[in-house]
Amino acid sequence: MKHRFLLSAMLVGIAALSMLAAPIAAQQRPANSNASTWTPPKTPWGDPDLQGIYTSDDYISNVPFARAAQYGTRLYLTDEEVAAQQARVQTAAQNALQEFANPNANVGTGPPGHWGERARNAPRQTSLLMEPEDGQLPAMTAEGQARDAAARRGRQGAGTALPADSWEGYTYYIRCITRGIAGSVLPVIYGNGTEIVQGPGYVMILQEMVHEARVIPIDSRPHVGSNIKTYMGDSRGRWEGNTLVIETTNLLGERTGIGGNGGGVTFSDAAKITERLTRTSGDTISYSMRVEDPKNFTAPFTFGFPIKQEPGYQNFEYACHEGNNGMMNQLSAARAQEKADAEAAKQK
Amino acid sequence: MRNRVRLLIVVAAIAATLLASVSLLGQAGAAGIPRMPDGKPNFTGLWQALTGANWDIQDHSAEPGPFYQLGAAFAIPAGQGIVEGNEIPYRPEALEQKRLNRLNRWTADPETKCYMPGIPRATYMPYPFQIVQGTGKIAFAYEFATSNRVVNMGPPTKAPVASWMGWSNGRWEGDTLVIDVTGNNEQTWFDRAGNFHSDTMKVTERFTFRNPDVINYEATIEDPKTFTRPWKMSFPIYRRLENNAKLLEFKCVEFTEELIYGHLRKPTN
Repeated sequence: MKHRFLLSAMLVGIAALSMLAAPIAAQQRPANSNASTWTPPKTPWGDPDLQGIYTSDDYISNVPFARAAQYGTRLYLTDEEVAAQQARVQTAAQNALQEFANPNANVGTGPPGHWGERARNAPRQTSLLMEPEDGQLPAMTAEGQARDAAARRGRQGAGTALPADSWEGYTYYIRCITRGIAGSVLPVIYGNGTEIVQGPGYVMILQEMVHEARVIPIDSRPHVGSNIKTYMGDSRGRWEGNTLVIETTNLLGERTGIGGNGGGVTFSDAAKITERLTRTSGDTISYSMRVEDPKNFTAPFTFGFPIKQEPGYQNFEYACHEGNNGMMNQLSAARAQEKADAEAAKQK
Repeated sequence: MRNRVRLLIVVAAIAATLLASVSLLGQAGAAGIPRMPDGKPNFTGLWQALTGANWDIQDHSAEPGPFYQLGAAFAIPAGQGIVEGNEIPYRPEALEQKRLNRLNRWTADPETKCYMPGIPRATYMPYPFQIVQGTGKIAFAYEFATSNRVVNMGPPTKAPVASWMGWSNGRWEGDTLVIDVTGNNEQTWFDRAGNFHSDTMKVTERFTFRNPDVINYEATIEDPKTFTRPWKMSFPIYRRLENNAKLLEFKCVEFTEELIYGHLRKPTN
C-alpha cells in the first residue's frame, strides 16, 4: 500500500512537471509554411513573435536602391526574371566554393571571398525603394543639396585615394562609431545579421556589424527630450495587427545617411523614421523604413526588403573599434609616406 | 478499489495544483516580483548598480583624480568594495602585473579607449543597462560603448571564438538566473585600479530578485592562470525608476580618437 502510494505520488509529480512543460513546447514556432494560410506565432504574453536571427543577404548587391528605368513603376520581378536571377545566385555560390577547392586562387591583397556573405535566394524586387511609386528618390531641397555637397567634400570611405590627414576625414562607419539607423539595416558585403529578442513591453533589435543594440519600448510613452540627440535615434514601438511599427526621432543630424553602412545623403536632425516589421512566414520578416526628412527631401520615401532566417546563420561579436587596425595603419602609412617624400625632396 | 482510485485522483489533482503553485510563487522573500507567463522571474527593464567598484572593486580611500585642474569634480570617492572578503587571490606573478597595471592605469585601462568592458565589469560601470527577456534568449544592452550580449537559454553552446563580452549560456535555478560566461578574451579589466584576468576566466553570474526593483547580483570568478582559487563579488542592482527612463547612447569611440590616433594626425604647417 505504502509503495503504491509512493508510486502514485511520483506519477503525480511527473504529471505536474509535464503540465508545466506543455506551454513551453507550445511556444515552438511552426515550420515555414504557405504564407496565405500562415498565422504568425504569438509570444506567451500575446504579442506577435518576431524573435530570431535574420539576414538581408539575399539583397546583397543584386537589387539597386533606386529602380532601373526599364521597370517603370513595377516593384516586383516576373517569375521568369526571378528564375534568371536564381541562376546568377547559384553561379556566384559555385564560384565561392572554388576558393576552397583552389586555396591559392586568391593572390590579391584584399580579403578572400568567403569573408563576405552572399545571396542564397534570388531577390524578387526591382529596387529597394518602394515609395514613391517610380522607385526613385524624391528631389532634394536646396538646403539638403548644399548640405550634402559639403558633407561629401569633407568625408572619405575606405579605398579612396584622398590623403589620410586625420581620422576625422573618414566615415562614422570606418571610424567604428556607428552605421546609423538606415546604414545598419541595408544589406552590405557582410555582417547583415539582425537578431530580434522580445520581452514583455520591449523589443531589442541587435545588428551584428558595429554591434548596435536598439531598445524599443512598446508603449505610448513620449520620446526623450528634444535636446537629447543620438546616432540611432530614440525609438518607440507599437503593434498594428501583426506589424511592429517603430517610430524614431531625436537623430543627430548630418552624421550617417540613407546608404549602406551609413553612406549616402545624411539625415538631418529633423528626420522622422518609421519602420514596419511583419512576419510573413516562419522564417521571413517583411521590413521597411519610411523616411520623412523635410529639411533634405521634398517628399517622404520608403525602402524595404525581406529579411530571412537561414540555417546555421548566427551573429558574432563585431569588435570594430577594438580591432580597428585599418585606421591606425592608414594614418601611420600616410605619415610615413610624407616623411619619405620630404626626405627624398631634400636629397634632390 | 474504485473508491481508492478516485481518492488517488483527487489527491493527485491537489498535489499537482500545489506543485504548480509552489513553482509559480518561487522562493520566500521575493513575493510580488515581476514574472513571465511561465512563472519565471522577469528581469526585463532598465537597471544600474550604485557601487564605486568601477574605480576599484576592493575597498579604497578617496584620492585625487589624475588632473589637478579638474579639482574635486573628477577626484576619486572612497568606496566599499564588492569582493567578498575584500581579498583577490592573485598568484604572485599576477599580483605584480596588477601592481604595474595600477601604476599605468590612466593609459592602460581599456575603458579609457572605449573598449567593450566585458563581464562582469559591464554590470557595475556607472551607466545603466537594459535587459529584454525573451522566450529563448535574454538580451543585455549596456549604455557604455553600445556593448551588448545575448544570453542563450537553450541547451548550452560552446564559445566559437574568444570575445570582449564573452559567450553567455543561461539557466534557471529556481528563481535565480544563472549565466555562465566563457570565451572571454584577456583584454578586459575589472576596474580602473588595474585588477585583471586572463583568457581562461570563467564567470558564473547569479541574478536573484531581492524585491521587484532590486536584483541581488553575484559573480564567481574562476581563472586558474591568474588566481589561486575562485572568488566572488556581490552587490545589488537597482531598477531605474525615473519617469520615462530610457537607455541612451554613449558611443565613446569619438571621445577617444585624439588619444588613440592623435600622434598620427597630419601636422599643420
